[in-house]
Amino acid sequence: MTTQTIPPMLRSAKGKRPSFYETKGLDQMMSMIMVLAGEVSVLADQIDLMQRAAADKGLDLAGAMQAVTLDQPALEEREARRQAMLDRLFYLMRKEAAEASAEETSEGYSRTIEEIAIG
Amino acid sequence: MLNTFQQANHAALPEADAAELSRQEFVKSLKHYVQQGILPGLGPIYRTRAAERFQKETGRAPADRHDIRKAMVPDAYFQHYASVNRISQELLWDSVIDSIDREGEGLIARAEQAAASNKGELRIGEGFEVPRYVSALDIHCMPGGYAGRPGQDDLRLGALYDRGVFLYAMGYTGPDNDDMGRSVCLYIKAKLEGFQPRRILDLGCTVGHSTLPYKELFPDAEVWGVDVGGPQVRYGHARAGAMGLDVNFAQMNAEKVDFPDGHFDLVVSHILLHETSGKAMPQIFRECHRLLAPGGYMIHADLPPFDLMDPFTQFILDNETYYNNEPFWGAMRELDQVKLAKDAGFPADSIRFDTAPMAVMMFAQAEAAGYSLDAADAVAVREFTAGEFAPGGGWEVLIAQKQA
Repeated sequence: MTTQTIPPMLRSAKGKRPSFYETKGLDQMMSMIMVLAGEVSVLADQIDLMQRAAADKGLDLAGAMQAVTLDQPALEEREARRQAMLDRLFYLMRKEAAEASAEETSEGYSRTIEEIAIG
Repeated sequence: MLNTFQQANHAALPEADAAELSRQEFVKSLKHYVQQGILPGLGPIYRTRAAERFQKETGRAPADRHDIRKAMVPDAYFQHYASVNRISQELLWDSVIDSIDREGEGLIARAEQAAASNKGELRIGEGFEVPRYVSALDIHCMPGGYAGRPGQDDLRLGALYDRGVFLYAMGYTGPDNDDMGRSVCLYIKAKLEGFQPRRILDLGCTVGHSTLPYKELFPDAEVWGVDVGGPQVRYGHARAGAMGLDVNFAQMNAEKVDFPDGHFDLVVSHILLHETSGKAMPQIFRECHRLLAPGGYMIHADLPPFDLMDPFTQFILDNETYYNNEPFWGAMRELDQVKLAKDAGFPADSIRFDTAPMAVMMFAQAEAAGYSLDAADAVAVREFTAGEFAPGGGWEVLIAQKQA
């Protein structure tokens, strides 16, 4: 543990940042996508590093990974994980579909607020 | 081509852990992709739909770079290009700051140790005033700016620049970021036969990337690098020490350099002029003339003027003005640099533009890490493409010689 007496570096550059999109929030959205793409790339590099570090110790992890045959439970486990990830990724679409089925509307929501205020 | 260029390590360079290095490499890859994969589409987008829409809306064809800008800004393809380009710039600095903050005072200690082995001087101006064209915006969106802020002006901003610029240039300027200086040195050796400068001044040197090759290629010369950024010259002095070179650094303004008349045989600058201003640039030319001994040379390696380019190319280049905190980038290209040199006192027949070929092939031949011959060749042998880093083939230089 080191003791730090110097302030951390600044993280924001002076100068008004331009907007690139007319749609509100899209600039932030694109920056998040790019950061996430970066993190995916970092993870891929980490797996690559694991394989190389193992190889340095005489363990052919990459070869062993290639040689693995996925049995039925493994196939199911993987597919379930992928579907769960997609489910999380598209949670807003799921919500939209659920609202459509339940016939939920913005007007209905406002009406509920008004009703509860007096009811 | 697969760009695997790697920066050479030295004792004052920020050290990245595995994840930080991956983030930095990702940004470098993203920049490469934007320039190779997305940029080429802007031309067709402009020709096939943006120009047409402009014509429909205004009843005339786009006439200059300003019209082209109006035509392109509402187009979704351009928006993605400009947005991702900007984001890559922001992520670049952030990825390096992670390393610098993690190491904290350790980095400063390493740099100070390296500085001790540089026998050259370091002069920091008491009460030095940073010109507005550097302090108004953080140039290249580098948080903190080149000169820092009161209480935030230690040499870490130089370290940030050192690593950040390598990523920004995607390694095109070599493992030591020194291609510009090296190329101009080699140009001098090849084209100004027998010219042996005894005192050399590099204006706007930042951390001395381009300054050090002058010491390497003219080892007997006294070499000075000056810059308005205190953190930059402090770090530059340390970096020179780390690289085993005795080079002098000073915090000075290129408009008014604290050396006597006729003190230098060679005054150079590399990508400095476009970071100054409409008032400063003519003054810098006059200052070069004052500082030079009779027969001495002034060489500025910077951007070619707009009048040499078509309007679409101008538009692409001008994006830097709007999106990368480069306020003088566009206006500078409209100035008549030859006239400025003439007005500063240089004889008309001594002033010319020329090209100093890039030295990037030499890095591959020297087997620098990641510098494959294929990739270096692809960088060296390119057509000029606006929006790519560095012109293909070579750097544009403006040369003038003071009356002997």
